[in-house]
Amino acid sequence: MGFLELTSLTKTFGTETVLDGVSLSVPEGGTLVLFGKSGAGKTVLLRSVAGAIEPDGGTILIGSEDVTDVPPEYRGIGMAFQNFALFPHMSAYDNIASSLTSKRMSASEIRTKVQAVAELLKIEHVLSHAPKALSNGQKQRTALARALVSEPRVLLLDDPLRNVDAKLRFEMRLELPRLLADRGATIIYVTQDYKEAMALGDRIAVLDQGKIVQIGSPADIYRRPANTQIAQLFGDPTINLLDIVPKEDERGLHGFISDQRVDFHGRFPGVAGRDCIVGLRPEALSFTETGGFPVTIEAVTPFNEKTVTLVTTLRGREILLSQPAQDPVPAGPEVNLGIAAQDAILFDRATGDRIAPEPDGNRVEEAA
Amino acid sequence: MDHTSFLERWFRRAALTVIIIFFMFPIFWIVLMSLQTNETILRSPPSMSFAPTLDNYTAILAGRLDSNVASMGIDFVNNLMNSIILSVCSVAVALALGVPAAYAFARHKFRGSEDIAFTLLSFRFAPPLLVLLPLTLYFQEIGLADTYLGLVWVYQLICLPLILWIVRGYFEDISPDIEYAYRIAGHSWFSTFRKIALPLAGPGIAAAGLLAFIFAWNNFIFALVLASADKQPVTVGALAFVTASGIQYGQIAAAIVLSIAPTLALALWAQRYLVEGLSLGAVKG
Amino acid sequence: MSAQLHLKSVNKKYNPGTAHEVHAVQDLDLEVGRGEIVALLGSSGCGKTSTLRMIAGFEEVSSGEVDIDGRRIDRLAPAKRGVAMAFEGYSLYPPLSIRENIAFALKSEKLPQADVNTRVEQIAALLEIDDILDKHPNAISGGQQQRVSLGRALIRRADLHVLDEPMGQLEPQLRAILRGRIKHYIKEHELTAILVTHDQTEANALADRIAVMEGGVLQQFDTPENLKNRPANIFTGAFIGEPPMNLFEAAAEVVSGNVELRLSPEVTLTYPSSTFSEELQNRIQQDHGVMIGIRPHSVQLTEEGLPAEVFANQWLGDQTHIAARFAGGSIVSVVHDLALPKAGDQIRIAISADDLHIFDTRSGEALSHGGQLA
Repeated sequence: MGFLELTSLTKTFGTETVLDGVSLSVPEGGTLVLFGKSGAGKTVLLRSVAGAIEPDGGTILIGSEDVTDVPPEYRGIGMAFQNFALFPHMSAYDNIASSLTSKRMSASEIRTKVQAVAELLKIEHVLSHAPKALSNGQKQRTALARALVSEPRVLLLDDPLRNVDAKLRFEMRLELPRLLADRGATIIYVTQDYKEAMALGDRIAVLDQGKIVQIGSPADIYRRPANTQIAQLFGDPTINLLDIVPKEDERGLHGFISDQRVDFHGRFPGVAGRDCIVGLRPEALSFTETGGFPVTIEAVTPFNEKTVTLVTTLRGREILLSQPAQDPVPAGPEVNLGIAAQDAILFDRATGDRIAPEPDGNRVEEAA
Repeated sequence: MDHTSFLERWFRRAALTVIIIFFMFPIFWIVLMSLQTNETILRSPPSMSFAPTLDNYTAILAGRLDSNVASMGIDFVNNLMNSIILSVCSVAVALALGVPAAYAFARHKFRGSEDIAFTLLSFRFAPPLLVLLPLTLYFQEIGLADTYLGLVWVYQLICLPLILWIVRGYFEDISPDIEYAYRIAGHSWFSTFRKIALPLAGPGIAAAGLLAFIFAWNNFIFALVLASADKQPVTVGALAFVTASGIQYGQIAAAIVLSIAPTLALALWAQRYLVEGLSLGAVKG
Repeated sequence: MSAQLHLKSVNKKYNPGTAHEVHAVQDLDLEVGRGEIVALLGSSGCGKTSTLRMIAGFEEVSSGEVDIDGRRIDRLAPAKRGVAMAFEGYSLYPPLSIRENIAFALKSEKLPQADVNTRVEQIAALLEIDDILDKHPNAISGGQQQRVSLGRALIRRADLHVLDEPMGQLEPQLRAILRGRIKHYIKEHELTAILVTHDQTEANALADRIAVMEGGVLQQFDTPENLKNRPANIFTGAFIGEPPMNLFEAAAEVVSGNVELRLSPEVTLTYPSSTFSEELQNRIQQDHGVMIGIRPHSVQLTEEGLPAEVFANQWLGDQTHIAARFAGGSIVSVVHDLALPKAGDQIRIAISADDLHIFDTRSGEALSHGGQLA
């Protein structure tokens, strides 16, 4: 059983169901990323755990203690808000210290703790400043310091990197795990950025319309997305989704993309002949001299670390391809495209859900 | 384009001047009147040249009203004190009741909360006389007529809705996240109210208090009906200058100048806090 | 290529002559060729939006000149400038259907109705809004509204197309494909376009050349390729690229046939001096030192090399970011598959002289890229 247990949490605002029976479990010291589009219910879920919103139903357990009806100040949590939510009339120091003044603690003890966390987050030189005199990055670090300073058992981070610039966001993404790991807190991290989700989460819970549609490790979500929607949310550029009707012969299940045979590995009983979608990650595709199928290059976009090429098949289907920057893009416009078939993901076209291969005898697929 | 912007600037200045003259002229004229005798005021045509005199002020402060026919005692200083007592107490009571209520209305949407808030505002719609006549009877019955307590109570009809609605807006402007953050930091809701909501809505509370003070100060009808001579404020007291032997314009003007002075001073003093409040609002969120 | 848009030492000052004077755009010279797509790229407050608004006519030019197709336009009303614009805030006409909103842009061209219809349908198919053409703006999502706004700007045959953050609200799954299509469309119809964005991915994907701005000053105006390989100064070097460039201060010295770059007392990069030209060798040996920059994808993990301690390994699906303590700071390396080192592991890294960018610490200007003088 996890340190933080949520059981069938529900919440409605008027006629709108925001949380629809959400159950989650986070082990002690683990990091769970809540991922989803805006309006998916992430923030409401986080606030329910914080005690800022009362759920209509369900229970919240922290360390096997039922805190569902406990006011926020007694839950022993720390929280960082997306909009920082710093107290504008207090200095950065008082903002951070506010997490300690409620506890029985001497002024000197508070000072030591605030200094220590400020040093860790490199904001000791701005402690006397008012929030409005801080840069966005400093505000964000102050908000983080306020959440960390009381060494809470549960740490809730609501998209804390959303409002800082790209460079700082990247730096913090690398630094955060180290800052958080030292404290041993159990963490729920909310984000809309799939890179943050994959980089920071032990496990990722994908939320959509108040329901958890998939929960799993970053590799699970990326390689075995539960449906086409999730597949499209993870990965940049987005996954290519092509309609396909797979066939089966003695070599197993396969389909044709522009007359090129693509084999699916594993056993898929009853899938042959169904309307399906095949998902191909842009990085699973490559230009080849021999084999593959003919395509036309439409646009080449060189990024720093990768090159993204948009090609169209003979039938006019658009396909995105991504390769490391140092690999050359052939002159074109007519080129050949190869597919690394083991990376293809098969979805049911009617429901959009992934079709998982049946586990063969000796290898058991990890449960999603 | 410079040409148009010059024209625009010029036009804007002209418009501003007209507006300032329109609004400031009565005050200017009252001040002039207060420095003249009744005779020079009533000259026709009116003239700007006169020998300024402080007689009107001395007469009012000394409590003796001299006209060319007779001399009678008035208690203007006492009226001024009444005005101050009534206004200050009314605003204090209204703040003590209204601010927590405004917070409740802003933060907790309960069934009927909108209706209650609206009902409170609707007191301002009714003509005061509508409530006054029955109130007079009640007050006489329970002994509240002609007491400060009774007047302060009735004054809540003016002050409370005003404070409730203005302050509620300011509380609603504070991001709830800021308050959640303080509670999550381990503080009770009451200390969150005291340490976060009150200071952040401070400028709004000051503005509402100021406005309520001005309304209370300028109120006429409640005190006219419910207060006797020794409890009446300046607004009612000024009636004494309309005497059987004529209207003492000079003294009325002096009384007006003295009675608007406190509110004017208060407004000027509070102005910088109001501006400060606006700039604090800009960094919210 | 003749200039379709020409900004000549354009300045923008807000509240000139007061205590709150803001010099938002400083002596900006910019030439956009006919048929070219140029991006104005920078973070908020860099002056890109002021520039755009001066071109479109929503903001006066404080000094300088703006020409479009050889005509001076900086004193004309917006409607007379021959500029088609897509707004960041969409600004669709609520009472009109999507079809009418898009067709509205063609009003001034006085085309036969049949031509209008074909063109609207073409652009709608391109932007995948053909199924919502008969809806009204308030009935569609933000991403769809932005696509309509784009369609309304692109359907016109204007002298200049101005796109303000054209893709910020687009659905992520459509973004990559639409970028490709829009670029193709602009090229096919030989339109000239200038777009303002804070997103370098977008600028990279759409623009032939990118003008990087910061603090109202144009930092570099160049092709995406050159911005990546030959950044003009530390700012562009650090700004362009995701993850950002690794930067270290270093003392350079030529010792017995080797160029030595000392990053910290323990860490020195050594290269045979033949890889650096004579002149460059002289220029980098400065008392105040130099700043060296290495792109994360050029940091190689090798068997031998300089030691570093990994503190983060983050797999993002198609690439892995490895961050390590190195030379008193941190260094980030991008690897294109799942990489193994875990936090706490010791790794060795190598940096090829070809991948080295050297900047002057004081002026910030680039001195060399890959051993070649900048």
